[in-house]
Amino acid sequence: MRAVVKNGIGVFSPQGFLDGNNGGAFLTIEDIEATTKTNADMVLVSLKKVIFFNRNGLDIFVKMFAKVREKQSIIVGFCDYDLKKFNAIKNFYHKETNFSLFASLEIASLFSTNFDTTNLNVLLYNDDKSQRSAMAIELHDGGHNPIVAQTEEEFNTKKKVKTSYDVIIHDTFLGEMGHNIATRVTGNAIIYTVSSFLDADIGNTFNITYHNNSLNVGFRLFIFDAYKVVSMNVHALNFFAKLSSSGAEYNASICFVGLTFDKIPTAFKENMEDSGIMFFDNMENILGDKDLLAELGASSAAAGKNKRVINKMTITELPKFIDATAATIEMMTNAKAIKNAVNVSQINIEDHTDKIASSIGYYGDMDGMVILVFPKDIAKKACQLLIGEETDDEELILDTLAELVNIVGGKVKTLLADNNIKVTITLPRTYNDVSSLLEVAKDRKGVQVDLTFDDDKFIFFLTR
Amino acid sequence: MITKNKINDFIEKIPPAPKALQATIILLNKGELTKAGQIAQTDLALCSYLKNIVNKPIYGFRNEVTDIVQIFGILGLSTAQQTVYNYMMTLLSPDKWELFKLQASTFQDLQARLSIKWKMILAHLNIKDNTIESAITLLPASIIVSEALFCEKKDDVDLLRTVHDIDLNTVLSRLCGLDLFDICQKIAEKWNMPDSIATIIHAASGLKPIEEQELNTLGKWMHLLLFYELSQTLYVEAGLNDFIEFQLDYVSDIYDDFIRVMEIL
Repeated sequence: MRAVVKNGIGVFSPQGFLDGNNGGAFLTIEDIEATTKTNADMVLVSLKKVIFFNRNGLDIFVKMFAKVREKQSIIVGFCDYDLKKFNAIKNFYHKETNFSLFASLEIASLFSTNFDTTNLNVLLYNDDKSQRSAMAIELHDGGHNPIVAQTEEEFNTKKKVKTSYDVIIHDTFLGEMGHNIATRVTGNAIIYTVSSFLDADIGNTFNITYHNNSLNVGFRLFIFDAYKVVSMNVHALNFFAKLSSSGAEYNASICFVGLTFDKIPTAFKENMEDSGIMFFDNMENILGDKDLLAELGASSAAAGKNKRVINKMTITELPKFIDATAATIEMMTNAKAIKNAVNVSQINIEDHTDKIASSIGYYGDMDGMVILVFPKDIAKKACQLLIGEETDDEELILDTLAELVNIVGGKVKTLLADNNIKVTITLPRTYNDVSSLLEVAKDRKGVQVDLTFDDDKFIFFLTR
Repeated sequence: MITKNKINDFIEKIPPAPKALQATIILLNKGELTKAGQIAQTDLALCSYLKNIVNKPIYGFRNEVTDIVQIFGILGLSTAQQTVYNYMMTLLSPDKWELFKLQASTFQDLQARLSIKWKMILAHLNIKDNTIESAITLLPASIIVSEALFCEKKDDVDLLRTVHDIDLNTVLSRLCGLDLFDICQKIAEKWNMPDSIATIIHAASGLKPIEEQELNTLGKWMHLLLFYELSQTLYVEAGLNDFIEFQLDYVSDIYDDFIRVMEIL
């Protein structure tokens, strides 16, 4: 069975009846491993459409979860169940639960390091005090505002005022959590959040593949949010020094924010500075200073210092990228996508109003980034198969546009593989207006193709 | 991906039931079991199907049965009718399954399992109606239609479903305004199956509950039965478990009864 992977969470959705006979047919270790290769840091089995399950059926999944956890530090468990199912699972496993239980996917996403929404007001209650604390800590680490009810009565009273909370956590249990370093993207910078004592384990919890991909697709500024770091040892020091040196060939900057040296030898700071790492007291000092951002490489102008041109290979394979885009639009709309004009230039968007965009990077035998720019209404039309109903919910439209560009990326990968060109695609990104897109794409040279379907225009832009 | 034209092509290409088959069904509808058996003997493909299906372990006969009149006699009127309809569905089946990992024999097994369990359900509900008993035979047509329409788009479907939780029925409905069960209805019309069969199948989609209480209840039982069978290892591995979406809420009020009838606990 394939998982649907979104926002770093891979969800398997079996349907019907689940027992010891068929559990292994729904899910295999290979299925889970294939999912984690897509940068998912959480793998869940949804019980939403399971009407019957017994312990033997769940045991098959639970054993697989344990095996996966031995190799990778990801969150595993079940989601999307009602109270009856939640109680049944708790009865089956009592205190042996080392997997997690999330009543809904929305609740699960709060605990994913790839969830990019922060500052949500979250009401929570669990009859186990240690669970309440664990959830509060995880939520706080994720940048949310946990409101912990100390009694069930308090929880029931508070939850009546639904408008006060963005999410209400109930019937949820945190098993072994992932230890991967939380990652988020702000504009043109990647922010990693590190905490407590940093030691050799940083090599396991830091996603070096993601970091390298980010370099490959053009990110130049990497910020370590280190407010909660207590101390570090020489292994962590070496790791950061090496990371900084290896980024130098890309002109990348690595900054630490909020790191105090009360319990870290001063020599460590000097060593890190020698390898090019910079230190700042707070995040606003960097993100709020446009000139500094430009200097550090977090703007397209600065990236221009290290501009990479469209090469022959990209031009040769360009038809495959266009075909993949056209085929995806045709698949989603049943309308023929037509190529109108092709220009090698910087991205040119004549009218900036009411436009949204999405992009996906690829790297491997060749690298670059595909950007699609749509008028809002046309984006809705292009995504009608996935959206299914009339909506003006911008978040939903952007989410769906990310899915569309993800399909384009998947098709590109397949088409290139036919010519023995292997690439890996990154997670998609979306831009809710042209100015946020231009922060990334301005000054980059690329191939712009104006496409239409059903006489509706959109822009395809391929750059490196 | 899938257009209305493609659906119309598919419907147009549905072959009319062969004459011997039509005559067999007419006689079965009149209750003329022996005469129906005699006519059925003239259709060699039907004979082969009947012999093959009746001698499957699920029917539980000790000795091999080869005589068609005898087979009809053993099956009885309603099951004979149901089996002949099942045969009609196999006429639509592809020579080679590509979207689903099925073979002719595994598909026939699914038909047989559905038919036998449907009979158990109708016995539990105390319903004795040949047409309702035969209604189950149209349900696997939804699988055949999915295979026919989506087999050339397998890669697209796979890619789409790794980024979005969507079933084939929804894809079809959103792109063409027609779903798998609407197409099943067209098949039923083309083969002159009674209207009530198509009505029950529509209800069995779980998406379009019908006003008539009895038929709607039958639709619920059929929907749950389908997912009970599609949860079997063989059919999960064939990729059938999620080709349409299971409507858990729709069947929740008959679930306890279903568990008892199927002796699941």
